[in-house]
Amino acid sequence: MSKPQPVAVSTPNENEKAYEEEHVHKVYQTIASHFSDTRYKPWPVVENFLNSLTPGSIGADVGCGNGKYIGVNPKLCILGSDRYRILVPKQSSNLISIVQERGFEGMVCDALSTPYRDSTFDFAISIAVIHHFSTPERRLVAIKELLRIVKPGCPILIFVWALEQSKFSKRNFDRTQQDVFVPWTLSASAKPSAEAKDDLDSEDASKQIYQRYYHLFAKGELDELIVNTGLADITSSGYDRDNHYVIAIKK
Amino acid sequence: MRLITHNMLQCHVKNCNDNNFPLRLEEVEVELVEADFQADFLRNILGKLEWEALVNTAVQVGNTSLPATIPDNAADNEEFLKVLHNALLETHIQSGNMVCPNCQHVYPVKDGIPNMLLAEHEI
Repeated sequence: MSKPQPVAVSTPNENEKAYEEEHVHKVYQTIASHFSDTRYKPWPVVENFLNSLTPGSIGADVGCGNGKYIGVNPKLCILGSDRYRILVPKQSSNLISIVQERGFEGMVCDALSTPYRDSTFDFAISIAVIHHFSTPERRLVAIKELLRIVKPGCPILIFVWALEQSKFSKRNFDRTQQDVFVPWTLSASAKPSAEAKDDLDSEDASKQIYQRYYHLFAKGELDELIVNTGLADITSSGYDRDNHYVIAIKK
Repeated sequence: MRLITHNMLQCHVKNCNDNNFPLRLEEVEVELVEADFQADFLRNILGKLEWEALVNTAVQVGNTSLPATIPDNAADNEEFLKVLHNALLETHIQSGNMVCPNCQHVYPVKDGIPNMLLAEHEI
């Protein structure tokens, strides 16, 4: 089976929030259950980071999805949050409901404005989240927000999709185009949640292909954003599994 | 939502920067869910709590067992750690409202999940 290939798009100059609502939030609401079923194996860099922290540390997983990192190290306390609205209580297609059903702490909030006290956490992680913001300004705000909630001297770990993707074929993918739609194909057995399906394009819905917006980060771009906050020092950065990642310490 | 989570929350409405913590609990439904007692975890977490806020919040859900100040021998005081464990990790807010003491913004909790999203004009 061929792997899903990205399609280049141009990002909006206004109403970025509405754009992300349409091309990120609604899609995740539709594919949440299937998405969650495919997200169970923790990435080693994240796992090692979490296992290196002092027992009893409190952290935030902002954009936690189905909460797959919350239970990696049971000696930590991780508060998870994700953006998806509670449309139907207890419906398992809601990502935060999935977190809750696993017995973890989850709440609904936006990564650009989290409800946590300043300088509260011993660490914060943002795994595969910031690439869904459609402008450099919004991506910067999301990083500053992570740095606001951790204590000085404490680390944040960020993963974003890389422009240098091994799974995208060169034939279909222009390496200069960083803003793309990436299709998610629902398997025949996976059913989208009805209330979200209605809002999506009917032709795509019948094919069960849902397009998610991504900003693909070029090498060094995430590092540069973090440096530009002026709030943190980068301690390590790298490329792993088609992603760029950075660990930085709040000044 | 357990009380440990509540202790980390503040109102994040735009320009609501003073007296925006702790969020007041109203009309809450509480459930006690047994959790494994881990003394080490509690000892490490002690210094990270806003103690007065925790004590007052526990009272709001009918738990008056926490002392007004953290005892000097907290780390070795198993009786205290058990009381703390019960309040912090076993007391779940299942439904109700969390209200900002400053701007009175209401954050609802449903099925144990707080909804902290703000409207566009509040960010």
